[in-house]
Amino acid sequence: MRGYLAFTNKEFVEQIRTYRFLILLSVFFIFGLMSPLLAKLLPEILSGMDLQGMVIVIPEATAMDAYAQFFKNITQMGIIVILLIFGGVISNELTKGTLINILAKGLGRQMVILAKYTSMLVLWTLALVLASLVNQGYTMLLFDTSNISNLLFSIFCLWLFGAFLLSLIILSSVLTGGNFGGLILTVVVLGGLLILDLFPKLEKINPIYLSSHNLEFLTGLLKPSDAYLPVMVTVLLLTGNILSSIFLFSSKKL
Amino acid sequence: MAVLELKNLEKSFGKLGVIKNLSFAVEEHSVFGFIGKNGAGKTTTMKMILGFLQPDAGEIYVNGERVVYENTKTNRHIGYLPDVPEFYGYMSPKEYLRLCGDITGLTRDVTYARSVELLSMVGLENTNRRIRGFSRGMKQRLGIAQALLNEPRLLICDEPTSALDPIGRKEILDILSIARERTTIVFSTHILSDVERIADSIGVINDGKLILEGPVQNIKNMRRKDTIQLVLGNPEMAKELVTKIKEFPFVLEGVIEKEGIFIKLTNAEEFGKEIMALLIREDIPVLRYEILEPSLENVFLEVVG
Repeated sequence: MRGYLAFTNKEFVEQIRTYRFLILLSVFFIFGLMSPLLAKLLPEILSGMDLQGMVIVIPEATAMDAYAQFFKNITQMGIIVILLIFGGVISNELTKGTLINILAKGLGRQMVILAKYTSMLVLWTLALVLASLVNQGYTMLLFDTSNISNLLFSIFCLWLFGAFLLSLIILSSVLTGGNFGGLILTVVVLGGLLILDLFPKLEKINPIYLSSHNLEFLTGLLKPSDAYLPVMVTVLLLTGNILSSIFLFSSKKL
Repeated sequence: MAVLELKNLEKSFGKLGVIKNLSFAVEEHSVFGFIGKNGAGKTTTMKMILGFLQPDAGEIYVNGERVVYENTKTNRHIGYLPDVPEFYGYMSPKEYLRLCGDITGLTRDVTYARSVELLSMVGLENTNRRIRGFSRGMKQRLGIAQALLNEPRLLICDEPTSALDPIGRKEILDILSIARERTTIVFSTHILSDVERIADSIGVINDGKLILEGPVQNIKNMRRKDTIQLVLGNPEMAKELVTKIKEFPFVLEGVIEKEGIFIKLTNAEEFGKEIMALLIREDIPVLRYEILEPSLENVFLEVVG
């Protein structure tokens, strides 16, 4: 436990001093700020353009457009940023050899995995909360948000998807060698999941569900109960990822 | 009591046998030099002592406790200095030692007190900048400080001087000489002069087997093969002289080089006088007659080569 706390603390110091903390929070802050603004301004931008006689009818922007922007930004750009920031989380230490001293001091290897996952999860949570709050504030300022339902649940789904992604990054990082192995394997697995998502029958046992149906919860098209199966599957996969990472990392040659 | 004991250790990577039936013991408060060529199996052995690699067969005991693979408890007795120690570049030496202390379970007060003491011992007491900009020698010194932080019974150093310039090497050896007062040191190297300077006993590993082991002085004497260097006043006589010298039964080898004639023989003190007698008999002018000290390097080359 002592070792876990010490190493988690070290992870936080690392995130702050290597600017990961700053980068992730500022990017997500910008997402929160930009999404409602873009939704509001897009019709005006389009109308200001010379369309050479073409007539485009744009319905007036609503809060839903703002949320659409928000979820799109985070599930696309946001995930890329997460991948780039955390891609080398374990392989970096292995290739550099910084873990050797620490493990020789008697830190359990499972603690390394748990501490890294904890710190990543905390950072992801902070970033998502910040983006959501900013987005919510701005959206409420610019639009009418009275007919939005299940917003918190929808954001929870996105959060859980992110938590799954982080566990996948850790597992890939443990499985592969080299600096970019973890990153590449994560992208490959994500690609595989996206392809599986094309089959409607498999949709609900795929974590991708949690990041692709966020708007439907807001409009009321889907109810939280529709997502119970994907939520459970994702929690199981996430736990499985972490447990296998611990198992594999413990028997890894250093 | 033996702080470290290896019994019949075996390890291979695939078909490549790296360690073959390796056994040795290191007594408390001694400095053990672990010598071998690159690739002889030194680092592999050290990683097995630390539980980072699993031996195929055999047992390792640290302080009487058996080493088990992964998460081994015996590591609390060990301080380890890797060949090229790497640290978190964004930390200062003090912060790094505090992290080590927290992981080992020392209280902050104890960690602080020891950090101050150790950093001044390795000459980093006034270095408050981050480790990122450290030279190799500085990293090596910080490596020794972190290895000694938990007052280990056994300090294992993997080639602590190999990557350093002569000044850096001297500094590390001086620090190790101080450290020997508080702990037992095992260090691997292929720089034999380092071993001669600080080791009490040595083990020479070649092809995964220990081919020579014992106190440094004994080994030097046991493998004694003396060399006499002769410089003649008249170099033209050298060739003829060497032919005559080679006729002595105790002379193993006689070669003429730029610096003079080198004669290898079994015992220079005993048989040297016969050579001198020959010189007088033949009336050969001699500028210099010197018995060269046997060095570990000669021993090493002889047993390994």
